Amino acid sequence: MTRYILRRLLLMIPVILLVTIGIFILIRLEPGDPVLTFAGEDRNPELLAALRHEYGLDQPLPVQYVIWLSHALRGDLGRSFQTNQSVVEAMAQRLPATIELGAAALLISIVVSLVVGTLSAVRRNSAVDLVATSATLVGVSFPSFFLGLILILLFAYVIPGHLLPPGGFVALTADVGENLRRLILPAVTLSTVSIAVNMRQIRSSLLEVFGLDYIRTARAKGLSERSVIASHALKNALIPVVTLIGIQVGSIIEGAFITETIFIWPGVGLLAVQAIPSGDYPVVQGVVLISALAYMFSTLFVDILYAWLDPRISYEGARA
Amino acid sequence: MSAAAAALPLQRRTRSGSLRVFLRRNPRLLVGGSIVAILLLAAAAAPYVAPYDPVATNVQDSLQSPSLRHLLGTDDLGRDVFSRVLWGARISLSVGVISVAIGFTVGVSTGLLAGYLGGTFDLLVMRVIDALLAFPALVLAISITAALGPQIQNAMIAIGIVAIPGYTRLTRGQVLTVRSQEFITAARTVGAPPLRIVLRHIFPNVTNTLVVQATLSTAFAILAEAALSFLGLGAQPPTPSWGQDIAYSARYLANLDWWMSAGPGLAIFLAVFAFNFLGDALRDALDPRLRRTA
Repeated sequence: MTRYILRRLLLMIPVILLVTIGIFILIRLEPGDPVLTFAGEDRNPELLAALRHEYGLDQPLPVQYVIWLSHALRGDLGRSFQTNQSVVEAMAQRLPATIELGAAALLISIVVSLVVGTLSAVRRNSAVDLVATSATLVGVSFPSFFLGLILILLFAYVIPGHLLPPGGFVALTADVGENLRRLILPAVTLSTVSIAVNMRQIRSSLLEVFGLDYIRTARAKGLSERSVIASHALKNALIPVVTLIGIQVGSIIEGAFITETIFIWPGVGLLAVQAIPSGDYPVVQGVVLISALAYMFSTLFVDILYAWLDPRISYEGARA
Repeated sequence: MSAAAAALPLQRRTRSGSLRVFLRRNPRLLVGGSIVAILLLAAAAAPYVAPYDPVATNVQDSLQSPSLRHLLGTDDLGRDVFSRVLWGARISLSVGVISVAIGFTVGVSTGLLAGYLGGTFDLLVMRVIDALLAFPALVLAISITAALGPQIQNAMIAIGIVAIPGYTRLTRGQVLTVRSQEFITAARTVGAPPLRIVLRHIFPNVTNTLVVQATLSTAFAILAEAALSFLGLGAQPPTPSWGQDIAYSARYLANLDWWMSAGPGLAIFLAVFAFNFLGDALRDALDPRLRRTA
């Protein structure tokens, strides 16, 4: 197992390097001269040259990349053009809000899809199943930003009593109740796509497992249906779902950009989106880099979990 | 898969006859295909059927709820939402088609070559693909569009690049399966040049899978374009665009002017749904082995 993890980590190195090269190229593609932005009104050629030298912009591109990468490795992703705040610092401030939202969405998604997915497999072709399967079909195609607006319209304006606020954020440390109240709509919005995907997977893998001999044996032994489902069928049916959850961390990260924008939730996604119109590229690409790293490590984590859960997978022969 | 559908080998009397049988056996193809056809038709005919100029403002008519005069209401500048939705279909569908074409061309050719040539080329290509897949898809599209500048053309390029890995992996995987089969060995023995083997013998064997992938990735492209435009990275005002119109309408939500976002929102849903539905139906019809569990 350790060897498998080590090999996976080693294989990640070239990919991470390529990712950083990609982001570096994107930063260099961006219009405008960063030095001019830094220098502000002062267009003294000597100062500009000094600044270029300081940032290594007078060097050939490969050298510039190495300089940029060595800064990045030391946790220096540059400064925001707008606020002059360090990009890493800005992201660190916003990260707790994003993690809270993402974790809530993932939790909702797992709970709802597990309950409804199981129900819909157990009562196959029932009304519950029909509604659930149609909902998944709709769920994967429904644009999350549109859903977010519908939810705001309903819960903040149409339903009397203004049940939930249309957006905004209160720190968990300041007021737990208010924080959770404002978390509900964005978390539900963010979770819908993954609920749809998970539910479909749970249903179909449960149906597959139900047809297997060991389930028939369990039933023949006289076990209650509840125990057949909970302690026999679900255990095996959930293994493929684990992989899916890894993929969904990606969809939750990308969804966060949109959901945070709709609900003015001050996470890293909103930070990047607000940086785009003002051309604050270090911030945008910093967030992109962090998203890619988070996604890669969550995929790795899930692969390891998967290998650990399913004894049929051999680590030694496995290739990434 | 039911027994009736498993017995697929059709009695091919005539081409149109077999198409009819094919569609009757796969009713979902007919449903998905019809919605897609209607959408394409609406997009193509927008200049002729849209009742109003989509960008003409008319302040006297602003913020009207849906009525016979304005089927989907009007926005704050008095622009007809229905006309904007029709014109918006042109943007969404053309982004869908063009970005899928980019992803398809680049992805399929690299996949064919990587699978057929193997070796260092394969290794290099697949590492680049891994790097592309290391980003959550939409984040990569946002990043590329932000770097190139917020324009609809750049959004197309970005979404196209994001679509590449899917095609490369799929094609390469299929090529690896096909390559070891006897008819390829036979072609090589009689001295067919590699390019001919790839194009004449391998490519036709992977097209079914690719058609399915292309349909499903059109759905993704439409959704991604809407998201980029929603974030201000796609079509720029006053061009009618579904995603951008929803972002614009959000400010009137508190006034309960729901119709401004309902039209474009439902349009996005319908378009994405139609391509997803058609893609699923095609997958079941063309290649029963290919049914993905997810």
